[in-house]
Amino acid sequence: MSRVSVKVTGAQGQGINSVGEMVAKGLKRAGHHIFGYREYMSVIKGGHSSYQLDIADTHIESSETHTDILVCLNYAGLKTDLDVLKQDGILLHLIPSWKFSDADTTLFEERNITVLYLPMEKILKKFNARPIVGNVLVTSVVWGLLGRDFSELKNMVKEQFGHKGDKILEMNYAFIDEGKAFKETEAADSELQLPAADAKRSDDLLVTGSEAMGMGMIHAGCRLYAGYPMTPASPLLSYIAKKQNTTGMVVKQAEDEITAIQMVSGAMHMGTRAATATSGGGYDLMSETLSLNGMIENPSVMVLAMRQGPSTGLPTWSGQGDMLLSIFGSHGEYPRLVAAVSDAEDSFTLMPDIFNYAEEYQLPVTVLTDKHIAEGLFMQPPYDMKKAKLKRGIVTDQKELDQLKSTDRYDPLAEGGVSPRWLPGSKAATYNAQGDEHDAAGNVDESGENAIAQMDKRMKKMKTLKAALPHPDMYIVDGNTCKVLSNETTDLSMDILIVSWGSNKGCILDTMKELQSQDPSLKIVYMHYTYLWPLKTGWLKKYAALAKKTVFVESTYQGQLAKLIKMESGITFDQQILKYDGRPFFVDELQKKIVTMNFS
Amino acid sequence: MSIPLDSNGPSVHDYTCATECTWCDGCGDYGIMAAAKRALTDLGIAPHEVLLCFDIGCHGNMSDKMLGYRIHGLHGRVLPLAAGAKLANPTMPVIAFGGDGASFSEGVNHLVHSIRSHYPITFILHNNANFGLTQGQASSLTWQNQPMNTSPNGIPEDTISPMDFIFSLKPTFVARTWSGDIPQMTRVFKEAINHRGFAFVDVLQACPTYNKFASHEWLLEHCYDANTEGHDPSDLDAGRKIACDTAERVGCGILYKTEDIPHFYERLSPRHNIKTTPVEEVKITDVSDLMKEFV
Repeated sequence: MSRVSVKVTGAQGQGINSVGEMVAKGLKRAGHHIFGYREYMSVIKGGHSSYQLDIADTHIESSETHTDILVCLNYAGLKTDLDVLKQDGILLHLIPSWKFSDADTTLFEERNITVLYLPMEKILKKFNARPIVGNVLVTSVVWGLLGRDFSELKNMVKEQFGHKGDKILEMNYAFIDEGKAFKETEAADSELQLPAADAKRSDDLLVTGSEAMGMGMIHAGCRLYAGYPMTPASPLLSYIAKKQNTTGMVVKQAEDEITAIQMVSGAMHMGTRAATATSGGGYDLMSETLSLNGMIENPSVMVLAMRQGPSTGLPTWSGQGDMLLSIFGSHGEYPRLVAAVSDAEDSFTLMPDIFNYAEEYQLPVTVLTDKHIAEGLFMQPPYDMKKAKLKRGIVTDQKELDQLKSTDRYDPLAEGGVSPRWLPGSKAATYNAQGDEHDAAGNVDESGENAIAQMDKRMKKMKTLKAALPHPDMYIVDGNTCKVLSNETTDLSMDILIVSWGSNKGCILDTMKELQSQDPSLKIVYMHYTYLWPLKTGWLKKYAALAKKTVFVESTYQGQLAKLIKMESGITFDQQILKYDGRPFFVDELQKKIVTMNFS
Repeated sequence: MSIPLDSNGPSVHDYTCATECTWCDGCGDYGIMAAAKRALTDLGIAPHEVLLCFDIGCHGNMSDKMLGYRIHGLHGRVLPLAAGAKLANPTMPVIAFGGDGASFSEGVNHLVHSIRSHYPITFILHNNANFGLTQGQASSLTWQNQPMNTSPNGIPEDTISPMDFIFSLKPTFVARTWSGDIPQMTRVFKEAINHRGFAFVDVLQACPTYNKFASHEWLLEHCYDANTEGHDPSDLDAGRKIACDTAERVGCGILYKTEDIPHFYERLSPRHNIKTTPVEEVKITDVSDLMKEFV
């Protein structure tokens, strides 16, 4: 696999995102496979942030630790980031009279770095332009360094800023020309050789996990969204709120997280589809309500967008440390479903299934995502509008409603533990969705016999649900890409079986492609868990036995899924690769870790 | 909201179920429940046509003592639960019941936001000025110098003046009644259910076991019907004065009401031209148009 990358760093507010996004869009339109990774701090302006675009000759969902082009919009990057430059890399910066240290100069020599100083202030002054137009200048130079045609950039700028009037557009074109001139005079021979593009991808979507999930929820029939801002769940709230005039959804910015999940619960009880999203701290607040939903057998959908904790933690960074929380958090024993998305694809495609399970099994569902997925920029073929099915499990037929008794609602003898559910307002016998332990009609019943009967009923749903859930996906390398093994194969022998979940999938698959291309005889299989609870371990048991070595990968300190797997099946892993610095796994880093693993 | 008055319509008996009531002798909840059933049937609302939401408390034990679609949720959280349900199906009357313990402590945040949000629901406050179900702790509304479960010397905090608090949030419907006057409660509940926006009903409630200060006898002596004495509920200033000035007498009835203020659902411009309810709109939805901006 061939891969290059561009990293733009600077203070928040300087326009790093606009540069990154415009370059990304341009490359995508040209059919390049790209992946965007943002780092930013918990401030509005200032701090030190970055936007890295990786470009490869095949689909990627990961970033590398080192970069071919480093763009520093302020001096901070010049002090801390120079080490990310690869051999023969290019440094583009805007700081007049910057004095590089001796160490820096040595680094430039050793790695044959081309250092370019772009006199932005001077150029802005020449046109009497506001600093914000400087972003277009930087983008233009980067565009030139990528060996792209400047007319592509002008078209994109026209698309984005054309509505602001001719004067603004002309100004932007002038800056693009300046960038072109700069590149041609100062960096005539410096150009990155981009990996091969695929014209078919030029109509793909460039989308973050949050946007994908928002569309997925809307696609799944979600009609009410209540949320409280919390990083990295806020972009989902913002997206859905932004689209409300188009979708007609009821959107409420709640006064706190408890309000959000209570409103979602009331709305789903009444019979619409509703959702909320939060991060770990917000989940803590919502947990009592999840217990309520488990008891009254009410569907609810909540997204837990993880960041590094504990407590306030690293608000703008990523991690997977809330997995066990999502499974065991909140009091009492009750049935629940926990699933995790991994990229912009399943952030969308999983949503109809999630709502279906929530309603059919009448239980609280938590969907895990993380900052890396929520804010990562993915290339995504347009979603298939015909695949999703609507399954609600609600009694709506009047003839059936006429037959219902109050005691049907929580009938302990219901098959699979799933008793009939009908909506308030239905012309039928009424029932009480009762938070106390209750009899079949929802009346308080404190007897021992009833407690057993109702607990058995509710927990039986976990067994029924587990049987209905799919097994984890198994990925193998297939040429320049990875594919899912479609059938259970009994003769699959592996050198390494990697097991993980969530955002690690992207990096693991890209790492596998690298490893496989370097050693085609190596047989690596990746088992990816989407459904975490109830946890299916049948296939893991089977395939772990066929692997020479098993490796577990997770962005936590404790290796949470590994603990869960051991609890449920006794299976342990030969090696665990754990990372908990708030950053995602990087493809070169993970490759090195796997290659240097000591399996003895 | 048009509700047909039909002598062939629902009866109080339709709301009755076989579960035995568990309240203490003389508890105000008996009267409140009776009035709730009467109000619903007077309005022609059958049990399957209403959602009754309960908080945790003695009042919450009403949830399985009458019929109707009911939900017995968490302590302090009945308002957002009821609001979510109402916004999903605005055509259905939603009534939230909560105690003063929950509503002025655990859930006071929700009370503030429910009033300012103007959720189109009815809120019946079971105000017996203590936490009854957990055995008589003082609530934020307990009078000063009253020895209670965890405050044998009286509460060290100030007592909240609930009506002052409520009026400061610009409500559109404020009523007060008390548990011994079923006809008055019935009248008040009916008007509350018919109100356009958020209807706040403070029901002073006898609690013979724990509340020795605002007892049934005390309430009988001090409460009077302000509407009968000429109070016009459209007069905000007069209403607020009657509501807050309870030094000698406690004014009851509809204290303030306006039907001119749009409620929360009406304020959502995305819903303006939509005739269906969110419940009716659940389907797999084509989002091809939404994808366009990402190409």
